This record gives sequence, C-alpha cells and structure tokens, in this order.
Amino acid sequence: MLRKPLIAALLGLALAGCDQSPPEARISAALADSVVLPAYRSWLLSNQQLASSAAAFCAGESALPAARQAFLSAQSAWAGLQPLMVGPLAEGNRAWQVQFWPDKKNLVRRQVEALLSSKPQLNQADVENASVVVQGLSAYEYLLFDPALDLRQAEQKARYCPLLKAIGNHQQALGQEVLDQWQAEQGMASQLKRFPNARYADANEAIAELLRAHISALDGLKKKLGAPMGRQSKGHPQPYQAEAWRSAASLANLAAALASAERLWQGHNGDGLKALLGRDQAELAGRIDAAYLDTRQRLAALERPLGELLGEPTGLARLNELYASLDQLHRLQESELAKALGVQIGFNAHDGD
Amino acid sequence: MRSNPLATASLLALAIALAGCGEDKAPATQAAAPAVSSESAAPATTGTLDQAAAQAVVKHYADLALAVFSDAASTGKTLQSAIDALLANPSEDTLQAAKQAWLAARVPYMQTEVFRFGNAVVDDWEGQLNAWPLDEGLIDYVASDYQHALGNPGAQANIIANAAIQIGEDQLDASTITPELLASLNELGGSEANVATGYHAIEFLLWGQDLNGTEPGAGERPYTDYLIGEGATGGHNERRRAYLQAATALLVSDLDSMVEQWQDSVEGNYRSELLADSAENGLRKMLFGMGSLSLGELAGERMKVALEANSTEDEHDCFSDNTHNSHFYNGKGIRNVYLGEYRKVDGSTLSGPSLSQLVAKVDAAADSSLQSDLAASEGKLQVLVDSANSGQHFDQLIAADNAAGQQLVRDAIAALVKQTAGIEQAAAKLGISDLNPDTADHSF
Repeated sequence: MLRKPLIAALLGLALAGCDQSPPEARISAALADSVVLPAYRSWLLSNQQLASSAAAFCAGESALPAARQAFLSAQSAWAGLQPLMVGPLAEGNRAWQVQFWPDKKNLVRRQVEALLSSKPQLNQADVENASVVVQGLSAYEYLLFDPALDLRQAEQKARYCPLLKAIGNHQQALGQEVLDQWQAEQGMASQLKRFPNARYADANEAIAELLRAHISALDGLKKKLGAPMGRQSKGHPQPYQAEAWRSAASLANLAAALASAERLWQGHNGDGLKALLGRDQAELAGRIDAAYLDTRQRLAALERPLGELLGEPTGLARLNELYASLDQLHRLQESELAKALGVQIGFNAHDGD
Repeated sequence: MRSNPLATASLLALAIALAGCGEDKAPATQAAAPAVSSESAAPATTGTLDQAAAQAVVKHYADLALAVFSDAASTGKTLQSAIDALLANPSEDTLQAAKQAWLAARVPYMQTEVFRFGNAVVDDWEGQLNAWPLDEGLIDYVASDYQHALGNPGAQANIIANAAIQIGEDQLDASTITPELLASLNELGGSEANVATGYHAIEFLLWGQDLNGTEPGAGERPYTDYLIGEGATGGHNERRRAYLQAATALLVSDLDSMVEQWQDSVEGNYRSELLADSAENGLRKMLFGMGSLSLGELAGERMKVALEANSTEDEHDCFSDNTHNSHFYNGKGIRNVYLGEYRKVDGSTLSGPSLSQLVAKVDAAADSSLQSDLAASEGKLQVLVDSANSGQHFDQLIAADNAAGQQLVRDAIAALVKQTAGIEQAAAKLGISDLNPDTADHSF
C-alpha cells in the first residue's frame, strides 16, 4: 500500500526528467488549471449569486443580511483575483467595472446619487452607459452598507433597487465574459499552456507575466493597507480611504488576496512559482515561505475590523507590524525572487503617489 | 500586453533546456539570465556599461534639472509680479495677466516632475507646491453643492473667512496670514485633501471653482473678489488678498530652495550627493523617474482615473482647465531626460550626454524604438492640446457620453503605456535590472 504513491512519484520524476517541455511550461500550465482558472470560476459563481440575491432582496423574498452576505462573498472572490490579474480582466477597463478604489472624494456616493436623480426610472442600459464608478461592487457596497442609507425602508428600496439589480446583472455578465475568454479555444488558459501563441512566445514570458501580476498585487495590498494607516498623510489615520470601509471588510479582502498570492507561490500540488527555484535556492524559498507565514499569522491575529484598529494606538502599532511584514514579503519577491527567476519587474500602476 | 525585454534570452534558454533533456535539472531561466543573488545588476550587462560615459550622463541630468528648476523659479517670480499688480489695481486686465503668468509658470514646472520620482529630495518637497486634488473649501467660499473628501475635518474651514479655525477639538489661530501659517495648515487634520499652498491653491484663488462639470468653461472668479470697498465681492477681501500674496511668496521661496539643491559646487546639496553616488544608481533614478511618471502617475492617476470614472474631480488643473498643457509638459519632461535636451523659457536649448546615446551604444534598435515611442506619445498629448485650443477641454473629453473625446484620452494613455515598456527595455539594455530606487527612508 505504501509503495504505490512512491512508485507513482518515481514515475512522475522519470517522466518529468525527459519531458520535452521546460519546467516553466509545466508550472504555467499547472497554475492555469489548478489555481488561476478555479479562482475565475468561483468569481463568476459568486457574481451569479450576487445577481440572484439582488433580485430576491428587491422582490421582498430575502432580507438585508442575506443580501449583504452575497455581496461579501462576491467581494472576497474579487479580492482573491488580485494576484491573478492577467489576461482579459486586466485589459481595457474591466477591473474598473468591478471596483473603484481609491475613492479620495467619495465619488461613489456622488455619482450614484447623481445618476438616480437624473434617471429615476433607471434601466440596465443606463447603467451600462454610465461611469464605471456606478457599475461595480463599490457602488453596491454603498447601497447596502452606507450609514446614511437603509434599504429596509420601502421608499429607499424603491429608489435604490433598480441600481442594485442592474449592478448584480452587470457583474454576472462581466464574470461570464471574462471566463468565456479564459476558456475559449485559443483563450487565456490555453495561452498559459501551449507555446508559442499569440500572447506569449514561450513559457518564460507567461511565467514572467504571472510573476509581475503577483508582485504588483502585493504592492497594491501595501497601498490598500498603507492609505488608511496614513502612510501618505503624515501618519494620520484615514479610515475612509480604506478599501471596503463601509462593509468593514478591508482586512478580510487583504486575507483573501494574500491567500491567493500564496497559492500562486506554492501551487495546488507543489507546482507553483516556488517549484521553479533550483535546489541551490532552497534558502530563498524557505525565507519566502516564512514571510508568507508571518504575514498570514499577523493578519489572522488582528481579529477586529481595520476601522476599529485605526482608532487606537495599540491597534495602529499592530497594523504597523503587519505592514512591515507585508512589505518584507513584497520586497523579497520583487527583488530576490524576480532576480532568481531572471524576470525584470519594471513599472506598475502603483508607482507614483 | 507589455513587451518582454527578456524574450530573446528566453528563447535561448528554451533551446538550452531542450538540448539538455535528461541531464539538466536546473530551471531553464537560470541558463539564460544568470541568477544573481547579490544586489548587483546582471554581470553580463554591467560590463558593457561605459562608466565614464554613464557618469557624464548623470552629470548632465543634474544640469538639466538645474535649468528646469531655474526656469520654474523665474516664471514663479514673474507670477509674483503679476499678482502684485493685480492686488495693486484689481481689474479684469490685471486678473487676466495674473492668470496668463500662472499658465506660463506651469510650463517649466510640469517639466520638473520627471525629477520627482527617484529623487527623494524633490518628492519630499513637491507636496507643498503641487498637491492635488484639493478640498478648496479649506481656503475660501465654495458653492453649496461642494463635495469633499469623506472624514476631512478641514474641508469647510474657509481660512479666508475665519481668523480662528476649528478643527475637531482644536482651535487654530489664523488671524495673520503668512507663508509660514499656510505651510503649517497644509494637510491640516491629517487629510491630504487639505492643500493650503502651491500652484493649485493659487489657481483656485485666481479662477475659482469650475462649476461647469463636463460642460465647456473653467472657473469664473471675478476680479472684484480682490477689491476693497465699493464693488467688492466675495467677502473678507483683505484676507483673500493676504492669502494670495502669502501663497505666492511661499511658492517663490520653495522654488528657489530647490534650485539650490541642483547648483554646482554647493557643498552638501543634493547634486553633490547624486554625483558622488555610483553612475548605476544615477541611471536607475533617471529611468525610474521617467517610467513612474509615464505610467503610474500621468497615464494612471492623472488620466485613467478621470477617464474611467468620468470624473472632473480627478482632473489635474481643474479650476483653470489647463490640464491638457500640464499633461503635455509632463510628457515633455520624460522625453527631455531621455534625450538630454531642454528648451528653456528664453528659447535656447540645453543639450548634452544622454541616456539615448548610452542605450544606442548597446543596442541602436532599442534606442530608436524608444525615441519613436516618446515622439508618438508627444503627438498623442498634442492632440489633447489641439482639442483644448479648438474649444474642447480635457474635462469635456472625459464626459460619459463623449465616446470620441474619450478615445483621444485613451490613445494618449496607450502611447504612454507603450513608451513605458520601451523605458523598461532601455533599462534592461543598460543592465539596470532593479528599477525601484526605494530606500528604507523613502518610498516613492
């Protein structure tokens, strides 16, 4: 009984040893099938549930807590896509259609209210033609969680429900469009598995892009944590500059994104980016493992919403420690891992202020 | 998608890996781009970098910075004279002249921004001069539908109307408006939307709020806001006059202080620090400044956000509707650094050893490709300028129902993204693998 896995493993090694494809191609294909594609599938699923939840809530068939729960699931699935932002969702303005952040001047409120005032009989087409700010989860969150709104009241429900339903539908359609482009015959999944193709000359280019998306997302997580901590504003906490402050899900989103980044690093079955490091780089791999563990544990230990932690010195001190840990995790991969894999990181959208 | 500078190396790696099937257990990438565990750049390329030539390029970069900051300082003083004239004799003409002087001062200033990213001395300094977007209700009267940053305790402080400012539980004495007072009120209460100083504060004091949204028209502040006695409008005009004068004086002294940082033979200034550092670090700062401004700041923060959100609140020079020129001269600054050229305000051109020449020595094709990317993006930014000059400004182009206008902005963004890939490629040719010059003390 014990022998079977061993034989299988040896066989696997032997096959790998004379496999005509380079390790980059195997890892890219494995990540596409077992990490990236499943994340896009569960995003679509949560968007479908979001759309039906909006319909049920507006029809009076379900209550506000259920609608909020569906939103939190969709938001979490979206957060998990951050390190996997390659292909269709990274192109055009699709990602903008899901979330508008940072929202420095409360555009979400302003644009939602302006739209509903100008189009009291709002239909789906009005939302499709409107700004991305009102098409996505940020506006949906405003409707369900803003302290000034209460959709349990009939009058407000009547005003805001057409938009709630339209956003649900928009997100569902967007998730479907993106997944279709992943699964098409020459689609994104195929391009991460068979080389050369229209997108990548070889597997190294695919790995390089996966690594860049991964590192850019970690940089983005630093911005999302650092902005409310006041790292760009003389250390004064800015709770309203946080992502998802209305739903108090900032840290939950961070955890979802981090878990997804770690899956890209570890792979589903030991076949993640880490597997591209040679035996002589085991020390670096160990340090990156330890950095993930450290960040994950610090985040889990916080246990309270970001908004509360920002309001007290001990909370702020613990957030600072979390930030330092996340920074270390980011830098290890941006500099040492990228060098070890021979990938130039270049510029990303988070450069600048 | 972005072009991959390592594509050629990767193809080679693939060939090696295939040939070594069954023997070579090392990851293929290691064979092509030698794994580097130290902090130095890839050995294969460092050897090709001519140190003396690279030093000369960095030195000329400092000369270029000095020339641009000097022009920003001199046009700042011209602005100050125009504002003095406005205050001495408020009229339609003197207000127009002050506005023209402000617009002229923006031309060199926007070309300095490429020096901001990569040089901490500039990045730490610039907030007091160009912070944006701002909650202008901090400074003066605003329209009743004014919207500001959530949770900003100073968003409606109206310094001009109030000699004492209440921020939460604290009361601040603002009875005498001085440059020092305004500097201390910046980021009041910790909100970065509280911008009491700099070009945009002055812009607001000259133009006023642009209440036209995505329709034509800029701010329409009347000159009578600066009159005392008969015909005066706005209220608290003595304090408005004092505010404008103090903000302008602060701008001028800030610009002068940055000129000193780049002057030759000033012991302990930033220039001497930069030139004492390795040429490689100097080149890294130059390339990082170009790429960060090109992608994250200009294409992203200043164009893409405003475009996708159809948000005039995210327009750069929103009171004056000068955004097209600001974008154009940001782009010009990037091109200046690469070509080692700057056309001064007096019309003469400064030129010298350039990144372009360094790259051309290693790979002439990479140089000419980046040169044409830079020319192309300048062309696309020029389209935005032309559109404004023929009556359709940036805030109209980004309207939700203006598909053709949006396309012009999208084209400019695409050209900037493409040029950024070219900058990455040029960096790789020079052996600058790690483009981020962040240090423990400063993160850009």
